[in-house]
Amino acid sequence: MSTATSAGATPSGASAASRSARIEAMAFVGLIALLSIAVLIATTTIREPPGSTNTLGARVVPYAVGGLMLVSAIAVLIGQLRGRFGHAEEGEDIDLEHGTSWGSTGVVVLSFLSLMLTIPHLGWPLGVTILFTGASLALGAKRWWVAVLIGLALGVVTQVVFGTLLGLSLPATGTLTSWIGL
Amino acid sequence: MDTWTLLLEGFATALQPIYLLWALLGVLLGTAVGVLPGIGPAMTVALLLPITYSLEPTAAFIVFAGIYYGGMYGGSTTSILLNTPGESASIVTALEGNRMARAGRGAAALATAAIGSFIAGTIATVLLTLLAPVVARFAVSLGPADYFALMVIAFLTVGALLGDSAWRGMVSLSIGLFIGLIGVDTLTGQARFTLGIPQLGDGIDVVLVAVGLFALGEALYVGSRLRNGEIPIIPITRGWRTWMRRSDWARSWKPWLRGAGIGFPIGSIPAGGADVATFLSYATERSLAKPEYRKQFGKGAIEGVAGPESANNAAAAGVLVPLLTLGIPTTATAAIILSAFQSYGIQPGPRLFDTQPALVWALIASLYIGNTLLLVLNLPLVGMWVKLLQIPRPYLYAGILVFAGLGAYAANFTVFDIGVLLVLGVLGFFMRRLGFPIAPLVVGAILGPMAEEQLRKAMQIGQGDPSYLVQSPFSIVAYVAMALIIVLALWLKRRRARFEAALPAADTTAIAAIDEEIESHEPHPQPDRGRLSTTALPRVDRDPDRPEDDRRD
Repeated sequence: MSTATSAGATPSGASAASRSARIEAMAFVGLIALLSIAVLIATTTIREPPGSTNTLGARVVPYAVGGLMLVSAIAVLIGQLRGRFGHAEEGEDIDLEHGTSWGSTGVVVLSFLSLMLTIPHLGWPLGVTILFTGASLALGAKRWWVAVLIGLALGVVTQVVFGTLLGLSLPATGTLTSWIGL
Repeated sequence: MDTWTLLLEGFATALQPIYLLWALLGVLLGTAVGVLPGIGPAMTVALLLPITYSLEPTAAFIVFAGIYYGGMYGGSTTSILLNTPGESASIVTALEGNRMARAGRGAAALATAAIGSFIAGTIATVLLTLLAPVVARFAVSLGPADYFALMVIAFLTVGALLGDSAWRGMVSLSIGLFIGLIGVDTLTGQARFTLGIPQLGDGIDVVLVAVGLFALGEALYVGSRLRNGEIPIIPITRGWRTWMRRSDWARSWKPWLRGAGIGFPIGSIPAGGADVATFLSYATERSLAKPEYRKQFGKGAIEGVAGPESANNAAAAGVLVPLLTLGIPTTATAAIILSAFQSYGIQPGPRLFDTQPALVWALIASLYIGNTLLLVLNLPLVGMWVKLLQIPRPYLYAGILVFAGLGAYAANFTVFDIGVLLVLGVLGFFMRRLGFPIAPLVVGAILGPMAEEQLRKAMQIGQGDPSYLVQSPFSIVAYVAMALIIVLALWLKRRRARFEAALPAADTTAIAAIDEEIESHEPHPQPDRGRLSTTALPRVDRDPDRPEDDRRD
């Protein structure tokens, strides 16, 4: 497939993975393996109510899931040690030839996280405005005021459609903006 | 004949003006979101899950039926018309359609895809109508052990067949199963993996899993690698009546029917989803094509669009058979639709046809209606859909984030869920970067709790003896079939990978040349090709001076 050509000129795409990508892949699978061990340990602390001897208790399936996770993570880990790395997903808008822009990804994550504060304190429409503005500017929107206007419009429209028409209880204003009085 | 009465009643419901309006809305939404690049059917359904919080079930499922089929139509438009630099997409149909478009036959590719989708979708819906009640009647006799067997099949086929390697799928599946375990155990009332956080006591809402992994994870991933600059859209001609030449019809109708025949059965068994069906159809069409057409494959053969597109849509209808009759989702999209059912407290399965006949038959009737609406809407309106491809990407992905936030917040109206969504989104982001498939995780998270329940019921009946799980003839057949499916599908996957690796990049003049060569000894050459094409496209014989590379960038 195309990854071989886009990841580098080498015939086997796997070995063309860069050093940082290899470290990232190993770290991710390592974390999964740690998670599986944590799952197995945490399972021993699930309390089994006494007297349910011949049916499956609350621990059996968690043990099986933790075991599957551990075995498959180790299998992937061994595969990666032998140089078999995964291929990053492709798509119409995805550019695999250039590096990852971590900066803009971080801003997008922060913009999304801001909803946790903005929804209760500023209300849904303003929260959406902040999220939309932050994310679209981080992704390369040119004019900030266009982003603000679209974001505000999107916030108001979703508030009206989902909040007023469809009856979801989206807060129109928050604790800091209750003076607007809607 | 009972089926027909019920179906007619379903039509009576679904044809009420208000439901027709919902069907239209679903079809429009589905196509619009499906056309947007980078948004597949799973993400479409996930993003639109919040509407189930406020609609009554019948209306909601009519909307979902429209979204489900509409997303399929929309996706093919994108892959045919978006001239992505380098390899366009790994799906074979995109490849042939895209190359047809580059040679000036984009309109024909769109038309054969749309008509083929309609015909195959209708055939498959008829088959669904006939088959579903039969399967449901049979499925009533299945015990918990049999259901557990079916769910294991769904897990293992989805896990082993998607992604780069089977083990990567298993990692994804086990994370999903783990997410499904979080919360208070229904049988014993014990908290599992809640870390003492009260909000986790009810478990992680499946809406969060679907939206987090498909919408947020995808938006973060694309955002981190957003392509700079515009992707050129291949121009198409106006006047949709003349889109298909007589030879196009002659070359398309058999692939349409074969696509329906291949897609429906593959969709209804858990075999890795529509990808397998499209590739099988493509391979079939290539080997059945006349030699002169066969060399056009890889360079824009219309059979290579007609067959796989039909197979894709027929498979989409086939997926609904196990979903509605057994409650078993075999794709990520089906798993999300299942969770929509559950959010109404409706459990798809054999009893669904007895307990909710009005809902089921209205849903099936709306599939016919949606399919027809799509054909009527899509061919003439393609120009409007194409405009959607021009939405600036920063706004598009920021908008996806807004709807992801809406879906997460509206699930329980707590901002805690926004945090959970972000964790899942970041997980999805890294899984995409490192080549882990997403679908097994979602299927595991949604189906996992149900599988545990069936397993425990089975063990109760079998009095703790594990061999009870493989005692019924049905479960034995199921496990054997699973082994066969996995072996066959892995073989097919390897073949497909090898085929795609060997595919040469075709240049537009070569495509146009072979197209005109075939036309020159067609039994009914259609001279209006020049009128149909836009001038910017490569011509071989008529103006040789034109620089050949002006359409490729």
